[in-house]
Amino acid sequence: MKKFLAVVKREYIQRVRTKFFVVATILGPVIMASFVVVPMLLASIQTGGPTRLAVVDESGKVYERFREALNRPRGEDEEETVKVSPAQAVNANQQDRMKQTAQARQPGFTVEQVSLDGKSIDQVRLQLGERVRKNELDGFVLIPKNILVDGKAEFYGRNTGDIFTRETVGDRLGNAVRDERLAQKNINQQDLRDANKRVTLTATKISEKGEEKVSGSGLAGFLVVFGFGFLIYMTVLLYGQMILGAVVEEKETRIAEILFSSIRSFPLMMGKLVGVALVALTQLSIWALAFATLTLVAAGRGLPVALPHIPAVIFLYLVLYFLLGFFIYATIYAVIGSMVTTTQEGAQLAMPVMAILAISLWSSLAVIRSPNSSLAFWGSMFPFSAPITMLVRIVTETPPLWQILLSLGIGISTIMGLVWLASRIYRVGMLMTGKKATIPEVWRWVRQA
Amino acid sequence: MEEAKATLILEHVTKSFGEFTAVSDLSLQVRPGRVFGLIGPNGAGKTTTIRMIVNITVPDSGTIELFGQRMKTALQDRIGYLPEERGLYKKMKVGEQLRFFAELKDLRGDEANKRIDEWLERLELTAWKEKRTKELSKGMQQKVQFITAVIHDPDLVILDEPFSGLDPVNVDLMKETILEQKAKGKTIILSTHQMEIAEKLCDDVCMINRAHKVLDGKLRDIRRSFSRNAVALQFEGGDGLLNDPALVANIRQKGEDTEVLLVPGASPQTLLKRLVESGVNVSKFELVEPSLHDIFIEKVREAA
Repeated sequence: MKKFLAVVKREYIQRVRTKFFVVATILGPVIMASFVVVPMLLASIQTGGPTRLAVVDESGKVYERFREALNRPRGEDEEETVKVSPAQAVNANQQDRMKQTAQARQPGFTVEQVSLDGKSIDQVRLQLGERVRKNELDGFVLIPKNILVDGKAEFYGRNTGDIFTRETVGDRLGNAVRDERLAQKNINQQDLRDANKRVTLTATKISEKGEEKVSGSGLAGFLVVFGFGFLIYMTVLLYGQMILGAVVEEKETRIAEILFSSIRSFPLMMGKLVGVALVALTQLSIWALAFATLTLVAAGRGLPVALPHIPAVIFLYLVLYFLLGFFIYATIYAVIGSMVTTTQEGAQLAMPVMAILAISLWSSLAVIRSPNSSLAFWGSMFPFSAPITMLVRIVTETPPLWQILLSLGIGISTIMGLVWLASRIYRVGMLMTGKKATIPEVWRWVRQA
Repeated sequence: MEEAKATLILEHVTKSFGEFTAVSDLSLQVRPGRVFGLIGPNGAGKTTTIRMIVNITVPDSGTIELFGQRMKTALQDRIGYLPEERGLYKKMKVGEQLRFFAELKDLRGDEANKRIDEWLERLELTAWKEKRTKELSKGMQQKVQFITAVIHDPDLVILDEPFSGLDPVNVDLMKETILEQKAKGKTIILSTHQMEIAEKLCDDVCMINRAHKVLDGKLRDIRRSFSRNAVALQFEGGDGLLNDPALVANIRQKGEDTEVLLVPGASPQTLLKRLVESGVNVSKFELVEPSLHDIFIEKVREAA
């Protein structure tokens, strides 16, 4: 046991101290931040004061409503957004959030009405253009006479690439025009709002414990699981190589022989696995901490941050199955590492392994629709797909405890079995130095060692 | 001579890999406090034998007994092993590396640190303690590797080709160190194909060839039994003196020496007397014992 700890300690310290680890640990959150937080922060930066807008209303009917609409706080009287499918929602969410952020920070508009005063529309446009150039205005809107009929207007601005301003102007003008049209048809504002009120669907889950209120849309739970599945996938992808390297290292450097004269191969292999796993967990914890900090900072700055609420039990399962998934796949890398003589060779062999993981990740989409199907059941028992499939089941329709325990048990036994296998192959393979092993040879090694 | 109980006893040990028999029916005894030479050509089965002794592999048949017990994992900590294929963690610092290997042998704490410093001092490596192993020359790495084999003060030290790749200064340093270990009462198994070194260091030898033991015993006895009744001579004058078929069987020039092989039963004293009486100026007269090298070659040829 002490020797096992010595191996764990060495693997851990040697790896955590490398430049690669330090750089990757720092760069991880930086990259994460640049994908998520930076756009939000950037979009929320207030550039200057309110947008100065001139409006030329040739129709003479829309200006008042338009001005009002522009200065109305957002959220009121907006079109209901079209519901999207869960898959799209992941992306749409992100975009929405950015838009909301930007709009929340929109400093508003100062609107001035410009009348033609006998001048031609072209003259006025040139005049206003000149004022925009002199930075007396940020932009202007030309509302033609028959806007109520054909619904077309023109926006001129210094920065037409500012999609937020352009979109807001378009939206509000649209509202103004719509209201004016309805007013002309004698439909009053309040009736319209009442008509637009949306239907809300409250979901109640019926489980063995009775009825349970589902907070949120239920989508959140799925996203969390999918996110965790993806996390397992990424972690294995990132650190599997490291396991492979750790196992092959002693063969490449011929240290194995002296190790085997001091320690049995099972604790040696287990020590390596645990050591590298701790490295991975250290890095992930640092990242999680950084993420939490960034989130808090963002929330502190008044940015809308939506974090799904996860019950403690579910969180426990998430951690358990994450560890299970990580170790199961890490041991496969260890087995591969024990068979090959170079890391490159091992990387090729590891490809199909990642395919299994990817398949179980995507098949979770099928599992979520029927979490009690036999596919779901066997998927959550089969050790290589259990981590993700079982998580999906736990979040959607928590299976009986015995099933969870059974799948954990199968998973842990698989890990032990694979480590045993790896250590056996490793030990004999090391003694047959040099040549690449064929599968029948490896099988013989396993029986022989 | 009454002998102490052997440190290591191999009895009828056989090990095969598939069709290939690496070690066949090998029996030997290594006595405590002595340097035991395991010699033989490349591929003879030396390394496989050693791997069985350190419990990396187990024999297909036969028994290995160490310190009076059947070989088992727990005994590994009492063995120090310098494998032929050297390997150290390239990126680890020398001090850390030694510490790790010490811990693998169940030696830890201040005692480990103290011994590491002592050994680095002894092998003139103190300045390199904080250096990464890859910055060391090959010879220095080998000395570090040697320390890993002795750091835990094992009762049995197994050295597989400990001198390969060392410069003459370090060869001497290594020899001294090995003899120090012997003086401390350690049992040493030295596997090598460098016969001159084996000759100087070993008390006992076991020669194996093609998986079989061909010879073993005390080095002195072996050499005596292979004695060919020869004399190495250096002298001036006295031409034709040696042309006496009743006394001399063969003459050959070996460097500055004239090596005279006497006919069986003839006494070297007779030759010396005749030389002195004839007034020849004798500057060297030495009874030649066959070198281990010669015995080795002879035995290998015999088997072929």
